[in-house]
Amino acid sequence: MLNSAYPGILRELGRPILTFLALLVGLTLGGCDSPADPEMTRPALKTFHFSMDQAPTTLDPVQGANIYANFVIVNAYDTLYSYQYLARPYLLKPNLAVDFPTISPDGLTYTFRLKKGVRYIDDPCFPGGRGREVVAEDFIYSIKRQFDPKNQPQGAWLWQGRIAGLEEWKAAGSDYSRPVSGLHALDAHTLEVRLTRPYPQLTATLAQGYSALVPHEAVEKYGKGLGVRPVGSGPFKLVSYDTARVLMERNPHYRQEPVDLAAEGYNPATEKFSGVEALQGRSPPFVDRLEFNFINESSASWNSFTKGDEVQLTVLPIEQVDRVLATKRPVTLRPEYAEKYNVYAGLEAGFVSTAFNMDFPELGYNPDPERERRNKALRCAIIKGYDWEARNISWYFGLGEYFPGIIVPASPEFDPQLSRASVTRDVPGARKLLKDNGWTPDNLPTITYGTTAGTTERLFFEQFRAWMRDIGFPRGKVVQKAFANFGDISRAWKRSELPLVAKGWGLDYPDAENTLQLFYGPNASPGSNDANWKNPEYDRLYEQSSVMQPSPARTELYHRMNQLLIDDCVAITGIARTRIYLWHKNVIAVPDREILGGFWLKYVDVLPEPAAGGGV
Amino acid sequence: MEILQYALRKLLAGLPLILGVTLVSFALMVYFGPDLTYQLLGKNPTPEQILEVRHQLGYDQPFLQRYMQFLGEIVTLDFGDASTGEPVTTLLAKTIPVSLILILPGFILGHVVGLLLALAAAYWRGRWPDKLIMAVAVIGMSVSFLIVIIGFQIVLSSSDGLDLFPVRGWNASSLGSYLSYVTVPTLATMFVALGYDTRFYRSVVVEEMSRDHVRTARAFGLPESRILFRNILKNCLIPFITRVMFSIPQVAIGGALLIESYFGIPGIGKATYEAIVTGDQPVLKAVVSLTAILFVLVVVLNDILYRVVDPRVTLK
Repeated sequence: MLNSAYPGILRELGRPILTFLALLVGLTLGGCDSPADPEMTRPALKTFHFSMDQAPTTLDPVQGANIYANFVIVNAYDTLYSYQYLARPYLLKPNLAVDFPTISPDGLTYTFRLKKGVRYIDDPCFPGGRGREVVAEDFIYSIKRQFDPKNQPQGAWLWQGRIAGLEEWKAAGSDYSRPVSGLHALDAHTLEVRLTRPYPQLTATLAQGYSALVPHEAVEKYGKGLGVRPVGSGPFKLVSYDTARVLMERNPHYRQEPVDLAAEGYNPATEKFSGVEALQGRSPPFVDRLEFNFINESSASWNSFTKGDEVQLTVLPIEQVDRVLATKRPVTLRPEYAEKYNVYAGLEAGFVSTAFNMDFPELGYNPDPERERRNKALRCAIIKGYDWEARNISWYFGLGEYFPGIIVPASPEFDPQLSRASVTRDVPGARKLLKDNGWTPDNLPTITYGTTAGTTERLFFEQFRAWMRDIGFPRGKVVQKAFANFGDISRAWKRSELPLVAKGWGLDYPDAENTLQLFYGPNASPGSNDANWKNPEYDRLYEQSSVMQPSPARTELYHRMNQLLIDDCVAITGIARTRIYLWHKNVIAVPDREILGGFWLKYVDVLPEPAAGGGV
Repeated sequence: MEILQYALRKLLAGLPLILGVTLVSFALMVYFGPDLTYQLLGKNPTPEQILEVRHQLGYDQPFLQRYMQFLGEIVTLDFGDASTGEPVTTLLAKTIPVSLILILPGFILGHVVGLLLALAAAYWRGRWPDKLIMAVAVIGMSVSFLIVIIGFQIVLSSSDGLDLFPVRGWNASSLGSYLSYVTVPTLATMFVALGYDTRFYRSVVVEEMSRDHVRTARAFGLPESRILFRNILKNCLIPFITRVMFSIPQVAIGGALLIESYFGIPGIGKATYEAIVTGDQPVLKAVVSLTAILFVLVVVLNDILYRVVDPRVTLK
């Protein structure tokens, strides 16, 4: 042991340590210069900060498959159509298009007129660095990109087999100098699209990020780099993009289009609290900058939101619900939160369901007709044993809306009068069904429930297993198969390797066709018909309805298809989840992340002082 | 000259290590990494489209061919483009400096403060200050880093706590903003690192203090400062250097995944995590190979530093 002089030595040690610390500060100062962000130091810019739970993987419209990418894409680029800001159910409106298209009597030719004088942002890819005018040829070029395999496009399915000549163009080598028979620029601002068969959803597909107009100059100059450097004509332009944040700033050349609240579907009874009336007659965008913060961890997101000077809008984390909400139906905040925040509960335009994979002879199609009959009884019994109410309470604040079939509440064709028997738990009924059809604990098949690896997914499985035990499944006959990641479970679904397919689906457009196609026979694996259900009557009705314009007659066909699916017990379906958004009082907004995507961001305004008003 | 020859020899000897690490990592990526095919396809793909994407991803090539291509990328330091379309080298150039200036203060302060605490614990060995320091060190080692991060964030940054620092974000354009953003991550890093560092340094110091040459020096009446610097700390340098040097690859390349994720800092740790989750192989290949190369460099430098601090060490 050292003697008592040791503390003196510690003092002596202080000198080199102080030197060391001085060196550290010097090093720090040196390091500060490299990642300097001059944009951050610009004063007095009106900025809207909000959080999302994931970062986009690319900002190129050709691969803009997820909501995170689309939030940025529809703000950096223009699409021909978008959605009315406040109307629910969602309604299309012209964006870059002057008006809705002229459609030929046979429904095969669409003529679109583009707005004149719209310019791309200034960028070095253009001669002289000055953004040129957006023209009809840009649309044709952008759609062609979706059929060029080099781009690994993800949006071609929207127009595949629909727009004439695109497959042939691709088969001939995706040569951009060659024309496509179904796409013509009649002049710089008029576009004609010819279809192979009527496609009532065509206009809606042109509100998706996939159809955003990209200038060929940018693709030629930046190549794959376009994924981190969008060059568009949207309301904002990109400043920076990394795994933690996207920063955009107002496009100074964005066209002046004053807001007409009536045309945006404004409903004072439900939206007055948001302060959107202040936007009437003003031209968006209203903020100088948008800051997208990608925060996976709900605690970090919540801490940043409640801090006051960071994130201004967030989705309420489930662990904060009891602390923040005073009531759930309707959603209201406790007084201390209502003073500071606005709240809005938005129902998902999509659903979560679990499909039975009919390729599995244990519970689907079987060469033995008797076994196939018993399999149907088995599926129906599982559906009866499923507890939607419990799932809703456990995972979705009790605010989700569970419904029979696959026509979701956000679809205009949703039928609120449909019998709820298929979403009402009936354990005695399930047990009886199994018994009447010769199913016993010994001969019940083993059901494999595939999930990605994770605690939440494990809990989903355990909950499902408990419900199945209630109807008579032995514990060992409901097993989990965990996949390391989403890519791996996607592969298993697409290869038809799992008997149960539990997944969510978000509407691409507000039309029940988008969910009904999930069970259309020709869309079987690797297509989106994960159930691999093949019902000739359903397929016939789908084909018949798929060329019809919206009408009561088409809705009737949709309802018949929905009933066929329910009667055949093909899926345990479904629930539309509710997201609760909170935002600071000084922000004028009605947030949404469903079909509307990121279109609403150009209407956001931030006031210097808290605005008056209450919650919903 | 001797050192240069030694360094070259060691670098050559490090090649099998690099090959081994890259081979194992690449095999893991290929056979256990995410299959991107279906994420890159649109809805309702045809079998031809699936084959097309698999071909573009190189999944249809033999393993050996893909591995040789990977080695070629290491030699040329051209790892292609990340899934965002950004060149991987650009991504690394953007993120590594951020991670460095994020982690470095905590790394350095953790070692310095750890050493000071270790000296104090060693001085009062067996008495209450020693026990207190070691108890705190054990707590630092035992508590999950995640809990430490959340705790520090709530206490120091959130409106429910002291509200002194930003909850998240990153801005190093001035010293003031840098310090405001780096302080909480640094304290969280230090809190955890101190546990390990203090215990390690204490055990090394205590062992050295009990050696005969220290007792002899003290018997000769040498001043304590001289004993500390020349007899104790100098002899402790070899294990100290080893500990510090082998932490460097983690600091430079590994970044701090949790720190970067919770505090919204765009460093290499977060980029690597995103690459793992999304199966962005070009980024993963670059990170794995750079880590292996850096590790070999650290081994060489480590041996050279041994020689610098202890002339008895021969570089063979």
